[in-house]
Amino acid sequence: MSPVIIIVLKRLGLGLLTLFAISILIFFAVEMLPGDIAQAVLGQGATEENLAALREKLGLDQPAPVRYLQWLSGALVGDFGTSLVSGERVSEAISGRFTNTLFLAAYAAVIAVPVAIILGIIVALLRETLFDRVSNILALTAISSPEFFLGYILILVFAVNMGAFPAIARLSGDLSFLELLHRTFLPALTMVLVVVAHMMRMTRAAIINLLASPYIEMARLKGAPPWKVIVHHALPNAWAPIINVVALNLAYLVTGVVLVEVVFVYPGIGQLLVDAVSKRDFPIVQACCLIFAATFILLNLAADVGAILTNPRLRHPK
Amino acid sequence: MSYFVVGYYAMLIGASCLAAHFKQRSLFLLLFSLTLVSFVMGIIGGAPALWFVTVGAGLIALAAGTSYAFREFLVTIAPPETAKELRTAPLTAAFGLFVIFTCAIAMVFADLIAPYGEAEVISSAFAPPDENLLLGADQLGRDIFSRLIYGARNTVGLALAATALAFIMGALAGLYAATKGGMFDQAMGRIADIIMSVPSLIFALLMLSIFGTNLAILVIIVAIIYSPRVFRLTRAVAGNVVVMDYIEAAKLRGEGTWYLIRKEILPNSTAPLIAEFGLEFCFVFLLIAGLSFLGLGIQPPTADWGSMVRENATLISFGDITPLIPAGAIALLTVAVNFVVDWMLFRSSGLKE
Repeated sequence: MSPVIIIVLKRLGLGLLTLFAISILIFFAVEMLPGDIAQAVLGQGATEENLAALREKLGLDQPAPVRYLQWLSGALVGDFGTSLVSGERVSEAISGRFTNTLFLAAYAAVIAVPVAIILGIIVALLRETLFDRVSNILALTAISSPEFFLGYILILVFAVNMGAFPAIARLSGDLSFLELLHRTFLPALTMVLVVVAHMMRMTRAAIINLLASPYIEMARLKGAPPWKVIVHHALPNAWAPIINVVALNLAYLVTGVVLVEVVFVYPGIGQLLVDAVSKRDFPIVQACCLIFAATFILLNLAADVGAILTNPRLRHPK
Repeated sequence: MSYFVVGYYAMLIGASCLAAHFKQRSLFLLLFSLTLVSFVMGIIGGAPALWFVTVGAGLIALAAGTSYAFREFLVTIAPPETAKELRTAPLTAAFGLFVIFTCAIAMVFADLIAPYGEAEVISSAFAPPDENLLLGADQLGRDIFSRLIYGARNTVGLALAATALAFIMGALAGLYAATKGGMFDQAMGRIADIIMSVPSLIFALLMLSIFGTNLAILVIIVAIIYSPRVFRLTRAVAGNVVVMDYIEAAKLRGEGTWYLIRKEILPNSTAPLIAEFGLEFCFVFLLIAGLSFLGLGIQPPTADWGSMVRENATLISFGDITPLIPAGAIALLTVAVNFVVDWMLFRSSGLKE
């Protein structure tokens, strides 16, 4: 086996192990409740019979490791039990909303990735100029602003003052694809702003790092035109950091989506999670957390594997 | 064409001509590109768009002027060594220091500055601003300005407490791991990996759903979530110091681990740790503000910037900017800290790109 495959397999194994550890953390965190779930749900005033009935229903009479294995094997096939509040199947509550969230994240990513990379490269080429400094300040501002601040500014400008886009991204009935894009434009734009700033800064740093290396200097000295230096010499080595940047920011999108969904009342999994937390609906909280954490870990994993695969030193070992 | 529009373009073109004449290349480029952009904006948005640009430019000029004056002020009152450092600070860093300073004043003297109490109902709901209510009233008729001032104390104070706790836990564990090495080091490293592999907001939500929203618990949870970052940095920085000869000498003298950490390693790794404290504060502050915005952080009637945004959010659909004020305060303070941290990192690394 080539060393690349071994490294990739090792990394995948580590990722799976982390995922496993996270699932343990998520499951047993609920076990740390003072009392138990039944007590927490029914409150202090619950009668003994009610408590016993709920414990029976939740299977709390079995030891925790057994319940963990049942929960995990269920989660692997998409069955997360039933909601404590509505009695609905958790998988039903989640499935549609998860698609919505993925759609929103993908929408934002499709706009953000090319814009950020192109901007990052331009800023790296124009470094130490006024343009670079201004864009650095703007990027810092966008990163430092909470998502809801950007979201409400966009609502004020585009929805209230200009009336160009709806302020609330409600998805009801049959919407054509264009209509869907129009309705979800503002939440997507909010995430684009935050992520583009992050990605731009990281791309800039990666490219500047690269342009400082001796072989680029050599290419310049031998008289290669600037575009050729970038496209032929710098870019092949820049893919690794850029792929890394993109995957890390997609992972960031997954978390940022929670606040954005609440601002725009978007029917996604983040909103569901926030509702479930305030109602203390543990099966839904656990399921949402597991999904978010798994997506986050998988994207980080993709970043690492991408970096390994695009590393020329690993692909062509001596 | 109103006089304003004519004057606007005349000023811009005149200023760019002057800049070109005095060979201020970057200033000329800025002014002239602004003129070109204004043409497009003027055609699309009309006079209001140009007003927007004017007000924006005025605000930026005001901020730059304040930062400049504040830097000069600091240089004058600071002792000579610090003054030399401060003189080289960029305007953005001076601006950051100014905002942090203002916020600190608001935190300390909240009781004196705020005209009303933080939970005091003094008028009808959503009353518009007048001379008594600087920024109007919120959904229960409480003075927004007073709540903003008290919010500085509550939100920032809570974030500071959580950051400090995260720092103490992370730095102590990191220093101890670097000095001891072995099993403890390995175990802490793996735990840090696991905590860092869960998105922070999600982790916080999970923990809050279990332990309920209580201030002490909130601080502890946030501190646990962010301590691995400090742990890693301290571990790395201290790892470089531990291999030095003077540590070896101290060990041979028979000094204990605690002495080594306190007297030898810590003084030699403070610079990156201070910058990290600023960064960490930004993360913690944004997380706490986000949680409060979701209604899961600081609970009413305590004034807090995140929940103030949430409480007044409905106003935004009437074109009222009230909910943007506390949100803007959060953004402003985070930007300010980031500016200062940027400068400190630049200074300590000596990076000149």
